[in-house]
Amino acid sequence: MSERADAKGAEEAPRANAMTVLSYLLGGLAFWGFVGWLADLALGFETLFLPIGLLLGLIGSLYLIITQYVRS
Amino acid sequence: MYSAAGEEGCHLFNDFGCGFEAPGTSLFFPTPWVDFGLPMTSGITKYALVLVVALLVAAGFWYFTTRNAKVVPSRGQSLAELLVGFIRDQITRNTMGKEGDKFLPLMVALFLFIFSMNVMGIIPGLQLPVTSNLAYPAVLAIFVFILWNAVGIRRHGAGAHFKARLVPGGVPAWILPVVVPIEALSNFVIRPATHMIRLFATMFAGHLLLAVFAAGGWYMFNLFGAPNIGLGLLSTGFSAVALIGFLVFTAFELFIMAVQAYVFVLLSSIYLGEAMEGAH
Repeated sequence: MSERADAKGAEEAPRANAMTVLSYLLGGLAFWGFVGWLADLALGFETLFLPIGLLLGLIGSLYLIITQYVRS
Repeated sequence: MYSAAGEEGCHLFNDFGCGFEAPGTSLFFPTPWVDFGLPMTSGITKYALVLVVALLVAAGFWYFTTRNAKVVPSRGQSLAELLVGFIRDQITRNTMGKEGDKFLPLMVALFLFIFSMNVMGIIPGLQLPVTSNLAYPAVLAIFVFILWNAVGIRRHGAGAHFKARLVPGGVPAWILPVVVPIEALSNFVIRPATHMIRLFATMFAGHLLLAVFAAGGWYMFNLFGAPNIGLGLLSTGFSAVALIGFLVFTAFELFIMAVQAYVFVLLSSIYLGEAMEGAH
């Protein structure tokens, strides 16, 4: 079997595994939520940047999931 | 006021006195036989013994099924071949293509080792799945994580490997500051963490569930200790339900043990295939 055919075989496999999608969602919320929380702490706000960070993280995660797994 | 065991007084005692004591997380912290007194270590516990048994079972399986390998396989050899064929066709070929055959021995060994560690949870006398202690799945998941990096770096070079894992393809440059940290956290922290926690948590929860059914069935078996025979029969009926539940869940747990070993290997294989493939 040629190398090209091998690569094709690998490509046909289900690429979007649920764990990666889940880790995108967790990663987005965790990272940008943390950045928002830090910003609140540094700038002395109660909760202003935390929800903004969470929202940004969620949007980023969904964007990644769509570009990496839905469209391709 | 009667309890489900139909008792007024006490027919079973536990560490705290009288009554039912639900099995808790103490199941997973056996008393060490040898304690070295080192910080952050548990000493030699039942886990170490069960691990050695699991290792011997996995090694023994290969020894006895393949020591007289013939072209026309014996029953044992057919079983071993069936396992290898299953992992090759269902996992490595599916996720890595023909190149995956290189990793077939690793994946087969991982599968059988994890499965035998899991199955120790329902072997009478041992009854402790090794993977219900986070340390054991953690070592395996970290090993796969290091291998994932090694394969990617060897195939594409360090720069291209980390770029492919940090910078998602087909994303406009102005969005990158938002998505690169997500990709980094996802690939280098959360994915290895979920890889180990998924195996650990299912085995932990499954074992606890079985323990609750068994302890409940044992506690409620109180035919003669109850104040009258009616209550005695009632409590024994409850006990029977719990023990039937225990048997049903034991069978179900055996299935879950195989599935979790399969999923661990499948995920390892998906990650390695992704590292081989490079940028997408």
